[in-house]
Amino acid sequence: MSTPFNYKFLFKILGVLLLVECVFMLLSMGVGLLYGEGCADFLPAIVTACVLGTAGVLAGQRASFHIGKREGSVVVTAAWLLFTLVGLLPFWTSGHIPSFTDAFFETMSGFTTTGSSILPDIESLPYGLLFWRALTHWIGGLGIIGISMALFPLFGISNMQLFSAEATGPTKDKIHPKISETAKRLFIIYVVLTVAETALLRLAGMGWFDAVCQSFSTIATGGFSTKQASIAYWDSPLIEYIIAFFMTVSGVNFSLYYFLFKLRGKRVWRDEELRCYLLILGVFVVVTTLANLDFSEPLTLASVEETLRHSLFMNSAVMTTTGFASCDFMAWPQFTWIMLLLLMLTGASAGSTAGGIKVSRVVLTGKFCYSEFKRMTHPNAVFPVRYNGHVVRDEVVKRTTAFVMLYGVITLLGVLALSCAGLGFMEAVSCMVNSIGNVGIAFGNFGAGGSFADLSDFCKWVMSFAMLIGRLEIFTVLIILTPAFWKR
Amino acid sequence: MRIIIAGAGEVGTHLAKLLVHENVETTLIDENQERLATLSDKYDLMLHQGSPTSVKDLKEVQADKADLFIAVTPYESVNMTSCMLANSLGAKSTLARIDNYEYLQEKNKTFFEQLGVNHFIYPEMLAGREIAESLKTSWLRQYLSFCNGVMVLAACEVPDHAVILNKPFKTGYFDHDKYRVVAIRRKADTIIPSGPDEIKANDLVYFITTPQNLDFVREQAGKESYQIKSVMFMGGSRIVREAIYCLPPGIDKTILERDREKCNYLADKFDHVLIINSDVRNVEILKEEGIHDTDAFVAATSNTEANILACLAAKHFGVKKAIAEVENIEYIKLAESLGIDTVINKKIIAASYIYQITLDADVLDVRNLVGLDAEVIEFKAKEKSKITSSKIKDLRLPHNVNIGGIVRDSTGYVVNGNTQIMPGDHVIVFCPASQIRKIETFFH
Repeated sequence: MSTPFNYKFLFKILGVLLLVECVFMLLSMGVGLLYGEGCADFLPAIVTACVLGTAGVLAGQRASFHIGKREGSVVVTAAWLLFTLVGLLPFWTSGHIPSFTDAFFETMSGFTTTGSSILPDIESLPYGLLFWRALTHWIGGLGIIGISMALFPLFGISNMQLFSAEATGPTKDKIHPKISETAKRLFIIYVVLTVAETALLRLAGMGWFDAVCQSFSTIATGGFSTKQASIAYWDSPLIEYIIAFFMTVSGVNFSLYYFLFKLRGKRVWRDEELRCYLLILGVFVVVTTLANLDFSEPLTLASVEETLRHSLFMNSAVMTTTGFASCDFMAWPQFTWIMLLLLMLTGASAGSTAGGIKVSRVVLTGKFCYSEFKRMTHPNAVFPVRYNGHVVRDEVVKRTTAFVMLYGVITLLGVLALSCAGLGFMEAVSCMVNSIGNVGIAFGNFGAGGSFADLSDFCKWVMSFAMLIGRLEIFTVLIILTPAFWKR
Repeated sequence: MRIIIAGAGEVGTHLAKLLVHENVETTLIDENQERLATLSDKYDLMLHQGSPTSVKDLKEVQADKADLFIAVTPYESVNMTSCMLANSLGAKSTLARIDNYEYLQEKNKTFFEQLGVNHFIYPEMLAGREIAESLKTSWLRQYLSFCNGVMVLAACEVPDHAVILNKPFKTGYFDHDKYRVVAIRRKADTIIPSGPDEIKANDLVYFITTPQNLDFVREQAGKESYQIKSVMFMGGSRIVREAIYCLPPGIDKTILERDREKCNYLADKFDHVLIINSDVRNVEILKEEGIHDTDAFVAATSNTEANILACLAAKHFGVKKAIAEVENIEYIKLAESLGIDTVINKKIIAASYIYQITLDADVLDVRNLVGLDAEVIEFKAKEKSKITSSKIKDLRLPHNVNIGGIVRDSTGYVVNGNTQIMPGDHVIVFCPASQIRKIETFFH
């Protein structure tokens, strides 16, 4: 901690990232122009991003690339905040979301792939803004830094410190010796999945624009739809199956697809997290299906299919923290709500675009607890925690348990804050779990097709903050708030 | 280019750090998780925990697709085995760190290539050679020769009566063809001299010159020349033995060795060397054996702290030149600032040597300058390469790169801005490690 904080590096990276955002906004403006809309919605934001970005790059000239943990955390957190602040401008200046708080909430919800919306009437938005809304998901899904590294290697951002501050999961595995190459490979997988889903949705009868936006939202496990009624709008079993499939696929660690591509299928199938993820999802789908079947009447194939489809869709949407809705799950038996809440907490795999605690952490913590029980009966025996066939180092286990505990504590504190602001018990709990897990749907008034518009400003800020720390996996953001971090 | 380094010791890590800034895909494999953990966040490398001699682990790191497999664990047999395994799996080229002179002999080369080991590195021998070189030129801190000795890089500390002091470079005082100042080290800072810079007293100045002009450099730098006639070595380590092999017979050599058995072994090997069974810390014996009249003292045991202290003690007794082997890379600058004349680090020497193999064939030599974080490289200028396109001053070379001299038809020339490099010339370039690949493109 003896080196002074590298501000030049901070300015440079933020500047470069703003220019990257500028490119993405230009793309959205282009989509708007294609549909005959003007540039007025985006121009102020693009000019701001361009000016600030250039200023940052100029201020950061000749920055040394020697950075430590501190710079890594600050740069990543600042990048996400700045991206949101600039990204909200199109909504705000165009007047479609007149309140700043609302615009911030909406944009943060977009970048963190939460998908909670404050819009009461989504269809009234112009195409350009709808596209930008879906694109925020897509950028945030792979990570702002990750996508910038993959797309713009010229900028020379190839830093492990930054990448690992943003990537999800207890351990950060690389699939290539170079971090920029790793990012590129993940990006290609990301694009392939998105293109595949877009094509299938188009074939299933969705329009091109909706297909692209829905795919952005699914693969990033976001949850913004272009329709107020979410996926239920189309009322098409085929579309629901396609989206359910791609949601589930996006909840898998992306590196596994790389290994699959490299014909190392054995390694993929042996992956403990993948197995647990599919097992949990399968069990929950079966239980919710059984709970929702009406046994008082004779079962027909059609009714079983419909129940199974909705329960598959909803469980997958919640576990992968996408937050689409295909039906009104508030009509389901109450205990299935709690099951959905559990899935919101768990989340999907590390290294995917999903939020939540992540299956690998849940498995690790469970194994650690079990080994503690064993240690009580055999005090002198050695019981290492094994994962994927390897012994997990103590520090990884420690950090994982600390993470799970912090996750719980922050969630409870958030629930307290939200209920102080007047939310009911069920709403407060589900809103907080929804925000920190980047899910996108809550219970009660905020269920399928509901809008978060009626929340007080205070609640919106609390939830926006929870989304950010949830997406950056707590440590990256909270470490900045500790005094030890700034002490020399 | 894919490179796999087995063994995350100091050679392996230093090498990985050199390679990381470049377009090289580096994978580091070591059995010890702790050693890898310290590297994981800081450097853009693939790290793999595993044994370098396990086929499964080698397959896991894709040794079959490696362009170069480097085994630099401390154990010769492990290195040999893992190189052979990697070669059989399909690695294009392999390099093993060894400590046996036999493996280096030219007649065994094809035999080892059949076994699957293409290159060898013997760090102790390289270090021993460097010690011998610096004993031959007593007034210099560092002496590196290039192209069979027709060009040299020399470094010395300038005293306050030297004639080259306080003369800004823009005055043209240094624009001649006798020598060229390529770098100046002032305390912890490295200066690549340009217009307004000048040399101050006690700076460490790096010259590139020809051996004929070395005396002129010495006069300009205000140094006295003295012949080293007697050397005392602390401990009979492998480095010391290799240094003794390289020294001319005219110099009196004394080895102080604590271990009796080892003394017998040394006595068996060197019949013209005085071997004393004593601890260096025994001042009485040191005086008795004439430390006051000894010209140079070399401490090259495996214990860095003991080496530094022993050299300081020797300086105190009036030894003119003290040479210490410093293993901890962090201690090098400290040791130099304490007044130890020459610091040797076998790991840096070894890493530079290996680094050269990773570069293209037109790079003939790479030497790291200890404590300066810079390299001196010998390139061969190819036909139609960029470097031959115009005079040096019009070349737009990268920042901090300095061309020191060229060798044409086995004759060395010091260059200036007006020199035109011709195809076939050997060019001595001074540059920071991060610029090597950039400058390399000039020679294609």
